[in-house]
Amino acid sequence: MSLTLLEGSLLVFVLCCALGAALLKDTMASVIAFAAYSLGISIIWLVLQAPDVGLTEAAVGAGIMTILFLIALANTVTPDVDSLFESVRWRTVALVGAFVLVMAATIPSLPAIGDPTAPVVGGEVTQYYLANAYKETQVHNAVTAVLAAYRGFDTLGEAVVVFSAGVVALSVLRREVFA
Amino acid sequence: MTVDVLQLDLLTSRYNYYAVVLLLGIGLYTLIESPDLVKKVIGMNIFQTGIFLFFITLAYRTGASPPVVTDGGGPYVSPLPHVLILTAIVVGVSLTAVALALIVRIYSEYGTLDEDTLEELYYD
Repeated sequence: MSLTLLEGSLLVFVLCCALGAALLKDTMASVIAFAAYSLGISIIWLVLQAPDVGLTEAAVGAGIMTILFLIALANTVTPDVDSLFESVRWRTVALVGAFVLVMAATIPSLPAIGDPTAPVVGGEVTQYYLANAYKETQVHNAVTAVLAAYRGFDTLGEAVVVFSAGVVALSVLRREVFA
Repeated sequence: MTVDVLQLDLLTSRYNYYAVVLLLGIGLYTLIESPDLVKKVIGMNIFQTGIFLFFITLAYRTGASPPVVTDGGGPYVSPLPHVLILTAIVVGVSLTAVALALIVRIYSEYGTLDEDTLEELYYD
């Protein structure tokens, strides 16, 4: 697929929001930029034909995550800020730049976006799920079929993670209930 | 090497991967450099979504529809990375919740969220 205007502007939007979240000095402004970032990313998931992920990202990433950040901010006091942006420290920029260059050096060996012969899309596992998911589970949505049937125990493990996170949050805050 | 990385046909056919490495960079920078603990958590989340973008891009196929399988439909994008990322999003939120709970607790003990002030208070 070649770069469409919609996708190009979405990518620019999320990169700007991410930069804003990183560099805005006021924590509340940073949280708002991050919420916008999550919403932009969830639209990118829709463009990439991943509606399940898009819905989850919009509900959980942009919704619940923002609420969690706002609750944390409501329980802490951040000092007043004197400037709009953080000062950039070039030593860290150089370090991160080196990391980005090393990662970017792997891009030429990745398959082109949307290439039907790419290992993930054309691979045996993907083709097996697409061919057999409905036959074996009676679920039309292959994502749901894999999530709840083929990898059901993984999803159980995920539920255990969420449960433990709740328990840990309560014990860290020394509370008995969420209130 | 640098010339290799910035070729124009690479940019037009693998643009999402450039966004991925930039998001990883922005996330890492916030994680290292921000003095505020809440913003470090935001940086961690940006780093995470960068990796999500990598996976979902790998699952994409030109002209394909979402993996809701019907007779005679297709082609479809790969459902497997979508499933992995759904799990990862939920785990990421759990991680954020625990990190923020710790941050609120740190604040109630020390009265600040600034990394440098915390370090001084801790060693005094």
